[in-house]
Amino acid sequence: MDNLEYLFAANVFVWGGIFYYLFRIKKYQQSLQNDLNLIKEAIKKGSQSE
Amino acid sequence: MSEEAKQSSSILIWLTALAFLIGMAAIFIYVPTEQMEGAVQRIMYFHIPAAWLAFFSFFIVFICSILFLWKKEREWDIYALASAEIGVIFCSLVLITGPIWARPIWGAWWVWDARLTSTLILWLIYVSYLMLRYQTEAGSMRARFAAVLGIIGFLDIPFIHFSVLWWRTFHPPPKMISPEGLGAGMDTSMVATLMLSLGAFTLLYFVLMGQRIKVEKMKDEVEQLKKDHLYSN
Repeated sequence: MDNLEYLFAANVFVWGGIFYYLFRIKKYQQSLQNDLNLIKEAIKKGSQSE
Repeated sequence: MSEEAKQSSSILIWLTALAFLIGMAAIFIYVPTEQMEGAVQRIMYFHIPAAWLAFFSFFIVFICSILFLWKKEREWDIYALASAEIGVIFCSLVLITGPIWARPIWGAWWVWDARLTSTLILWLIYVSYLMLRYQTEAGSMRARFAAVLGIIGFLDIPFIHFSVLWWRTFHPPPKMISPEGLGAGMDTSMVATLMLSLGAFTLLYFVLMGQRIKVEKMKDEVEQLKKDHLYSN
């Protein structure tokens, strides 16, 4: 009657969903930070050559 | 991000982790097993907080959308988008954990009753909200359309709440907020565990909001720098 497999499945989905979303946000932040660094570097180089 | 903001963000993350740790101990060790449903009833401590978080997120979308249409400030648009995304994630978890709980108890994964159907409609509305945001070009028109959809979508939530009282549904009526009182008919330890789980999920909302808002602000910064320095040359 305990149906532990259902409880386990629900936990997998809840924690999987939360951690996947957090991981995706962190990855996106890292990629944006890289873009920001590249742009800032390009601007710096541009202003030095002028 | 200032040092102070970084510090408070880190405190919030640790506080959320601690709340979840205590919550998990309460769910799997402290709270007694429900006599009729058995251990599977423990899904309730994820299912109800996920539903609360989805509704709360969409309420924030509703408020921020109104403020955006009124003040026309990008800030409100960012908050609405971030909250809508979190709302869709947690509404998806409600629609996943619900059937997993229903299968051993009702003998069916899904029934087309008023509560389940209106929740699915809510999910579809906010998925279309996100599709509108991601599939169309950025601009004030997109933000305005999204804000209108964000406001209309929220009107489904009172309908979801009252659906179990207005119609005969498979889904049980609310246990926490019922006419008999808060948590009436539930064991005190169950109410305490549920409240703990609700608290942990609410803290998680603020953690996710902080991170998601940061993404949008970084995106804006990238766009602004490109516009000001790279495209203009």
